[in-house]
Amino acid sequence: MQDAVLMSPVAFAHALRKPVNGEVNGMETALSFDAADVEAKRSQTLSICDVSNLNRFGVKGPQAANWLQAAGIKLPGTTNSWTPQDNGSLVMRLGNTEFLLEDQPENDLTGMLNDTAVNEGGVHKVLRNDAAFIVSGELTPALFSEVCAIDLEGATLEENRLVMTVIAGVSATLLKQTLNGQSVYRIWCDGTFGPYLWKTLLGIIEEQGGGPVGFNFYYKLN
Amino acid sequence: MTSRIAKKRGEWINRDKPLTFEYEGQQVQGYEGDTISSALWANGIRVLGRSFKYHRARGLLSFANHDVNALMTDGEDTNIRADVWPVSNGMSLKAVNTDGGVIKDKNKYIDYLSPFLPVGFYYKTFYKPKRMFPFWEDKIRKAAGLGEVNFNYPRNIRPKRHAHCDVLVVGAGASGLSAALAAAAEGLSVILVDENLQAGGSLSYDYAGDQSSADTLHALLSEVEANQNIRLITDAYAGGYYTDHLVPIVEKSGITKVRAQSVIVATGVFEQPPVFRYNDLPGVMLGSAAQRLVHRYAVKPFEKGVVVTANDHGYRTALDLASVGVDVVAVIDMRSSGAGQDLTQKVKDSGISVHKGSCIYEAVPSSNKLGIKEVVVCPYDENTAEADTSKSVRLSCDGVAMSAGWAPAAALLYQAGTKMAYDYDVEQFVPAQLPEGVFAAGKVNGVFDLKSRQLDGRRAAAEAASYLGKAVQLESFKAASVNRPSHPYPIVNHPKGKNFVDFDEDIQVKDFINAAKEGFDNIELMKRFTTVGMGPSQGKHSNMNAIRILARIRQLPVEKIGTTTARPFFHPTPIGHLGGRGFHPHRYTAMHQWHVEHGGEMMEAGVWLRPAYYAPAGAGLTASEAVQQETLAVRESVGMIDGSTLGKIEVFGSDAGAFLERFYTGKFADQKVGGSRIAMLLDEAGVVVDDGVAVRMAEEQFYVSTNSSNAATVYREMQRNVQLWKMQVTLVNLTGAMAAMTVAGPKSRDVVASLTDIDVSADAMGKGAFRTGKVAGVDARVMRVSFVADLAFEIHVPYKAGLHVWKALMEAGKASGIRPFGTDAQRLLRLEMGHHLVSHDTDGLTNPFEAHSESLVAMDKPFFIGQRSLKILEKKPLNKKLTTFVLDPDFHGEVPNECNLVIDSASQIAGRVTSISYSGYLDRHIGFAFVPPEHSHAGARFQIRTDSGAMVAATACKAPFFHLLESRGE
Amino acid sequence: MKLLECPINGIRPLSEFTYGGEYRDMPNPDTCSDKEWAAYVHYRNGAPGVKKEWWYHGPSGTWFIAERDTMADKVIRTYIAGQEEAK
Repeated sequence: MQDAVLMSPVAFAHALRKPVNGEVNGMETALSFDAADVEAKRSQTLSICDVSNLNRFGVKGPQAANWLQAAGIKLPGTTNSWTPQDNGSLVMRLGNTEFLLEDQPENDLTGMLNDTAVNEGGVHKVLRNDAAFIVSGELTPALFSEVCAIDLEGATLEENRLVMTVIAGVSATLLKQTLNGQSVYRIWCDGTFGPYLWKTLLGIIEEQGGGPVGFNFYYKLN
Repeated sequence: MTSRIAKKRGEWINRDKPLTFEYEGQQVQGYEGDTISSALWANGIRVLGRSFKYHRARGLLSFANHDVNALMTDGEDTNIRADVWPVSNGMSLKAVNTDGGVIKDKNKYIDYLSPFLPVGFYYKTFYKPKRMFPFWEDKIRKAAGLGEVNFNYPRNIRPKRHAHCDVLVVGAGASGLSAALAAAAEGLSVILVDENLQAGGSLSYDYAGDQSSADTLHALLSEVEANQNIRLITDAYAGGYYTDHLVPIVEKSGITKVRAQSVIVATGVFEQPPVFRYNDLPGVMLGSAAQRLVHRYAVKPFEKGVVVTANDHGYRTALDLASVGVDVVAVIDMRSSGAGQDLTQKVKDSGISVHKGSCIYEAVPSSNKLGIKEVVVCPYDENTAEADTSKSVRLSCDGVAMSAGWAPAAALLYQAGTKMAYDYDVEQFVPAQLPEGVFAAGKVNGVFDLKSRQLDGRRAAAEAASYLGKAVQLESFKAASVNRPSHPYPIVNHPKGKNFVDFDEDIQVKDFINAAKEGFDNIELMKRFTTVGMGPSQGKHSNMNAIRILARIRQLPVEKIGTTTARPFFHPTPIGHLGGRGFHPHRYTAMHQWHVEHGGEMMEAGVWLRPAYYAPAGAGLTASEAVQQETLAVRESVGMIDGSTLGKIEVFGSDAGAFLERFYTGKFADQKVGGSRIAMLLDEAGVVVDDGVAVRMAEEQFYVSTNSSNAATVYREMQRNVQLWKMQVTLVNLTGAMAAMTVAGPKSRDVVASLTDIDVSADAMGKGAFRTGKVAGVDARVMRVSFVADLAFEIHVPYKAGLHVWKALMEAGKASGIRPFGTDAQRLLRLEMGHHLVSHDTDGLTNPFEAHSESLVAMDKPFFIGQRSLKILEKKPLNKKLTTFVLDPDFHGEVPNECNLVIDSASQIAGRVTSISYSGYLDRHIGFAFVPPEHSHAGARFQIRTDSGAMVAATACKAPFFHLLESRGE
Repeated sequence: MKLLECPINGIRPLSEFTYGGEYRDMPNPDTCSDKEWAAYVHYRNGAPGVKKEWWYHGPSGTWFIAERDTMADKVIRTYIAGQEEAK
């Protein structure tokens, strides 16, 4: 996508809150919505951050697991689970034979994989367009109780498990991880549902006394 | 004069927070913690409402939300249940259902008309003479409502929440509290819910004059409050039981949908009234109502009272009344055997005389008919339900506490599928067979002794824990036997009637007898003819007596009569609560913001938002002007539409071609790389489901598009068939991952060529050709299409680059006057081209033969979905064909609409219009219609009947429609 | 509302699923009569009993079979088509 200015699926939905914008991975991104200390406090209460701009790579097929292992990727052992790579990239096993990899801003595993030709013999690239969010704060259970019918507490997301379920009427993938020492939830959905999910979750989050935080809060790039 | 008494241990009112409110124009004092009724009663106000049918004055009956004697409005809300609704400062209340106030109600004369208004009278009156019906209807509507709708009611969003637990305990009385503690002790997570403002159930009022119950309550409550595993929710009711232990808990703030692993129902029982003449006068109330007044709200129910009872409960009530200084004149026991010795002695020791084998024959109204002044007491024969009026005694009093027995609050158990059986020891229906994971404890389970109720709660918790896999010891215990808590027939006959069974609907004993005489002698028919149990209380205080009366009329045992079905919700639940927040997902294309900024009128197309047309601010265009201009731009120059909503599926694998060969009607196994074919999908019945396009990008890779509305369905069906046919195919759904746009019109080639390295010349890219390359610097898939125009290019790029490419094309097309066009123009453009839309022009029965799609069907293939059905259909004569038509030139008048019918010469329905539109480009009205096959050839004429009934002539016509321009000499 | 167990994703509320019709073996289209074929396409047996049903878990795109006792409305087991024998 050289020379193109890319848009996060959620970009225009941010505009209402007038964030400080910047470019990450070639995509316009909300870097911060408020002062750093305000955002820090918010993330303790309840906050949502758009990280749709992180680089991703998707692949599926009966030979996908073998192909990834041959490329040196550490794979999660069981269905519907995830594992971090040494460099911090996330590798998610969606179901049995589909994988989603996500780079954190400093690394470039997905770029390398994207460049390899991979549509042969049981291994097929899946073009991704995810809206992705980080949700954190002690009031997260209250948020989830309004938007999700299954129990996301307890054992559901422990031991590197992930779930594919429905959040506020939209199919989504969730997992729980530790980021910068804080326990956070990750949500992915089809990018075309991104603006709706952002607005819906943010509305409930603000009712609970929380708010949005920018990309810089977690990744402190600029 | 005030009926409020000295501070009681555990009272629910806060005397530090007095407040004032208004009732029927009168200022009233109360305290925080009072309900509306308790505050009114404390102030000596006894008339709380007028009954539904006869407009009789009413006071408290159950004081537990098991009756609706006291329904009020505060001007904004209506049908407020005053007995349980907390009073707040500044409230302004009126009783509903009155004309002129609750005391002066002009409709009270209806009570005198009651002989002319027997049960079911409205089925037999008012319809003759017919011309009088509107008059009656108006009168009945005014008289029949409860409360007035407030059309300015504010919209309150009450979000729903989900909650999860191991054990849900419904009811926080003695057995519920015990069950919750026992379950929590096993390490299980417990949600304990109670509809009262505070937990405790009858432990908070059924004291019989001593403090032992209050001590037990205090101990249990402290334990529960300290227990981390128990979440106690009060002022919330369980609305119903739904499959797999889903129970909505309804609070004022909204509904919490609790998904439990097991449910313990400890909901207790509803007190049932004895039935005697004028048992509905203000001042006559159930025993438990009197006890609640005394112990929760510190209010004397009356000054001088009589207790009438058909079970031991009346004695307990008498002791509670005496303990707060009520002059209890006598306990009238309808049982010849009376109560147990200890209890009887206690009552006598308080100075209260006891009359066994006696009843209240009738209560006597006070002179203003708004209260009671005395009761007539007679000897009573339990077998005949007759009073011996020759030996009557009059006892003066200003109130009566009445008890006869209990009905189980078993709605949740019934809804869960419990089989109930009638237990003659307790004269009550009790659970006989419980479904898996559902347990019952306490009075609803037929256990009445206090200690036994606690043990029963622990027993139910142990069973629940065991069901959930905990190793627990299941001990059985024998519930201590008590004197029969319910009387089998607490009815006193009276020749003048007005002995009420259902207070919501003003139903008396003779109503049942009359209904049975008319043949409505089955419980379901009896219910509907008499309306017993159909009022707002839904039979809580009346259904058991109704069953007993019907049993006696039919001379059958009670269990042969059965019960009617208690349906959710347990109490009326506001629609706003049921609606909750309401999630309405939408999908946005990559170019959404651009459409909005350029005047796009966004419309819902399924879950997508798409521009119907563009009317930029300041351009002053009407919708139809915009659409015609957009259409003209495509015809004469160039336009572009955002088609990102198209379904897009990649089909990979060694079996990819073979799979599509079986899935679709066309041939794909031998399709050449770089070529596209129409992919028409049928269902097994041969009905057209979708028509998309399949492109072969490589030997083992196809790129398939579908109609926007069918994307999810087609992808799903592909997945199912891959599994079923066990083929080596991988599917990737790219609908949301790729943006797509179509540049269409005579200048479209020039515009696209300026941005791409692909050779898009006429020789290099014929119709249906497919190429990959760069457009505006972005990797793109480009296909030559002809849906809206002869010359058009559909460009697919990754979503992230969609806006960039769109803007680049708009810029490149500026010189040619490029116009963005929306779905309205698209609809007209494709019509001019003669393309039908699946699911718009076709319906749930249309097969390819009817839709001119035979050429897309390769019947010589070994198999495809729908083929076998087509083999049957092609042998049958066609009875309709989808045909393009045109209205006469210079047509004026009422334009037919979609779905207007085609009428044949015999005035029979012969077809219908599926699309119709005025085309400015052609200056003609054109469309699609189903017509009989003999009218489908070009030139055939047929008639369309418009909405107003006028007939419009139409001519079947060749498509595309552009030849019409030639005939105009253009 | 009812819960259903997806063989891959576990127990979920029914709202996450789409019903896909009864699972029935297709008669051989080459050898069956027109009448047999029409009955397969249009007739269903409404008598209560254990039925095999197609169900689709939306969020994960998983098709599976549920064997359901339609009288008691109880699902006996669920499995991926062709993997009945799997544990």
